[in-house]
Amino acid sequence: MVQFLINLVILASIAAIVASALNLLIGYTGVFSIAQAIFYGVGGYATAVVSLNISPSLLLAMGVSVVVSAAASVLLALPAARVEGEYFVVASLAFAVVGYSVFSQWTEVTGGAAGLVGIPRASILGYDMYTNEAYLVLALVSLGLVTGLIAFIIKRTPLGRSLQALRDDPLAAQALGKNPFRLRLIAVMLSGAIASVGGVIYAGYINFVNADSFTPDASVLFMAMVILGGAGTISGPIIGAFFITLFPAALEFADVPAELKGSFEQVIYGLALVILMLVRPSGLASIFARRRKSPDPEAWSTGPAMQSVAAGAVVRGGALAEEES
Amino acid sequence: MSESMLELIDVKKAFGGNQVIPGLSLLLDSHRVTALIGPNGAGKTTIFNLVTGFLTPDSGEVLFKGERLNGRSPESIFKRGLVRTFQEVRIFEGISVLENVLVGKEQGLGSWRMRKRNTEEAMESLALVGLSSKANHIARDLSYAEQKFLSLARVLGSGADVLLLDEPTSGLDGRSLDLVMATIPKLPDLGKTVLIIEHNLDVVRSIAEQVVFLESGRVIASGTCDELFARKDLSDIYFGGVAK
Repeated sequence: MVQFLINLVILASIAAIVASALNLLIGYTGVFSIAQAIFYGVGGYATAVVSLNISPSLLLAMGVSVVVSAAASVLLALPAARVEGEYFVVASLAFAVVGYSVFSQWTEVTGGAAGLVGIPRASILGYDMYTNEAYLVLALVSLGLVTGLIAFIIKRTPLGRSLQALRDDPLAAQALGKNPFRLRLIAVMLSGAIASVGGVIYAGYINFVNADSFTPDASVLFMAMVILGGAGTISGPIIGAFFITLFPAALEFADVPAELKGSFEQVIYGLALVILMLVRPSGLASIFARRRKSPDPEAWSTGPAMQSVAAGAVVRGGALAEEES
Repeated sequence: MSESMLELIDVKKAFGGNQVIPGLSLLLDSHRVTALIGPNGAGKTTIFNLVTGFLTPDSGEVLFKGERLNGRSPESIFKRGLVRTFQEVRIFEGISVLENVLVGKEQGLGSWRMRKRNTEEAMESLALVGLSSKANHIARDLSYAEQKFLSLARVLGSGADVLLLDEPTSGLDGRSLDLVMATIPKLPDLGKTVLIIEHNLDVVRSIAEQVVFLESGRVIASGTCDELFARKDLSDIYFGGVAK
């Protein structure tokens, strides 16, 4: 049972890393991409190739994966970052389909449909992580670092502010000197690079990668994690990823005849998602969010500084007052 | 005598077969507040879009400090020192009031090193429009009037020399209107040149040193408020014969 739970938490943490990276696009840049599984896959395959041919070093796999994934993301961003809204979605869907085909057909590198097997567990600074417990720590620490990095970018840096400005109003952002294409390019590269970290952990943990883990369906699932948990919140994608990973597992324990179990799970799972989106359209994270204090209606436009400036207006507005009378 | 900051030379713009700007020339003096007035559909906002790179002229030239702006992107025009507001409120609603102002201040990689100074200057801009006490509020929580002020603070804080303000008082009344009318005339003293689109003629009379009257994409008169408001032909076009 403990191993079962450890397995679930590792898989949920990996999903949370990928979903958090996607949230950089959906939640903070206003770009809806359904190609996230490709960058996750690039991380997985890059790790497999490096581990099988060079070294199982985690840091090497991470470095290679991040660079290759960021480079691959340029292939999506160069044509797609020039467009907005549904056009980007369509471009990313095309990228997801093409990427999946590359994974399943490029036999020399990816092993084709059979995939790559026998990927060794990673080692870090000479310590071999053979146990699932070690991978649990790796997954949780990586999730913490990724979450911290994203929170820092969004909350503390000019880049984070610019991305959110682009999300909220691209025209106004442009009028204030922001280049939408450049910002979307940076966001897609960052998101792709971070998502690949999930692939690195996944490949070493499962010891096997093939294209079935990186389908367009998987990309849609990552998007569902972000939206269900709460796009544009730091905790939302994590909550969404854990919910979507753990909920079907919990249904395993339901007392349902074996022959109906699969259908029952699908129906309950789908219903739960629909109900949650109806009850919590802004995501599960909103349950935990602090309620913001509403602005005092009496205080609007009458702050101390404004009163001093407005007082000046009364003096110079004398002529105007005369006209109005 | 003020020197020319912004110049439009025989600028033309058509949408489909509709010639919105059939050939407009305009000279904007520096360190002044100039109002662009005219009936709806006169092409006022189109001129803003042409000057700020959101539209490209079909022909003619837009010159800023002598440099040709035609074909340049909005962001590159901003970096040359020209900033605008929009007719509708366009704030970045998901970030704080202070961050809204910082977005315009933070340009390029060097902005990270200047964050303390940028924050101080952004707070000064917010103080100018009475929003310093709400600096950490999320922008979407502001009232409509406060969001208008935030748009103003953003362009003030951007450091641009020329501010194009598209109907900054629309939807405002009472003290809010007084605040805008008190703030804008101070801008030339802060080194700013202001071009403002405004329908409220009391506001125009109160804040503008120069007025340009536009009709069907053409400048049909320009001068001081007193000069223009005294002309019967203009009031017939725009004022409906009720000009004071």
